[in-house]
Amino acid sequence: MEESKLIERAKEGDHAALATLVKKYEKTIFNFAFKICRDRDKAENTMQETFLRFVKNLKQFDGKSKLSTWLYRIVVNNCMMDARKRQRRPFVEPKDDERDFEERFVADRLSAPTATVENDELKRVLDEAISKLDPSYRVVFMLRDVERLSTEETAEAIGVSEPAVKSRLHRARSFLRNEITKAFQS
Amino acid sequence: MKVQKMERPVAASDEGSCKTVMSHICDSLDEDPTSPKCVAIRRHLEECDACRDYKASIEKTIEWYREYDAPLPEGAHERLMARLGLEDA
Ligand SMILES: [Zn+2]
Repeated sequence: MEESKLIERAKEGDHAALATLVKKYEKTIFNFAFKICRDRDKAENTMQETFLRFVKNLKQFDGKSKLSTWLYRIVVNNCMMDARKRQRRPFVEPKDDERDFEERFVADRLSAPTATVENDELKRVLDEAISKLDPSYRVVFMLRDVERLSTEETAEAIGVSEPAVKSRLHRARSFLRNEITKAFQS
Repeated sequence: MKVQKMERPVAASDEGSCKTVMSHICDSLDEDPTSPKCVAIRRHLEECDACRDYKASIEKTIEWYREYDAPLPEGAHERLMARLGLEDA
């Protein structure tokens, strides 16, 4: 059945349609929540909260944006509030520093490890790098690059302008790439 | 992890140009590949090792995070359905 039909039926209180929708998106939402929260329990809790809000607010969903974008937005709100509450040290907000750019981006090449993400060492490096990054940059990277949303959809999901999405994406990519480079050089 | 150490690249002859290219590589990953900016970047990349490596490393970074999946924990589906009151559905 088409998604729009399922949504219509779910709005009318059809449990089977609702369950089908939840099942369709639960893996995506858990995975995305994990990538933002970096914690399995929190990700599961966020997934549950997201679908609770989904069920509660479904009648307000007008179908103008994709259902996935709508769900991402709930996850982002949930995880970011939580991240800000938990964080003691300030997150790194990447800056466009020209000297930095010359020295670190040009001189230090990323020595390409042949490892895949099955490698625990690489996972650790990826976890550490993303955890340092300010959540407002992290979500842009995750939505645009990892979940492959468009710039427009990302802007909509997090409620910022498209130029802001582009600039955060650029900085987030450079920051992560840099952190990974540093980790493999030491 | 075993990592192949690469030599530090010789400073590119036109650093200003490299910097410009690098700062736009990210856009070029998203933009229409036939736009004048992308064509200029591609031309530079053909001749510049440093920028090419930089671009490759950004792409590799993205790829790793894409592949880094977290599977749904055991029983998470059932717990979710119970919380939503949809066990019967
Ligand atoms: Zn160059």
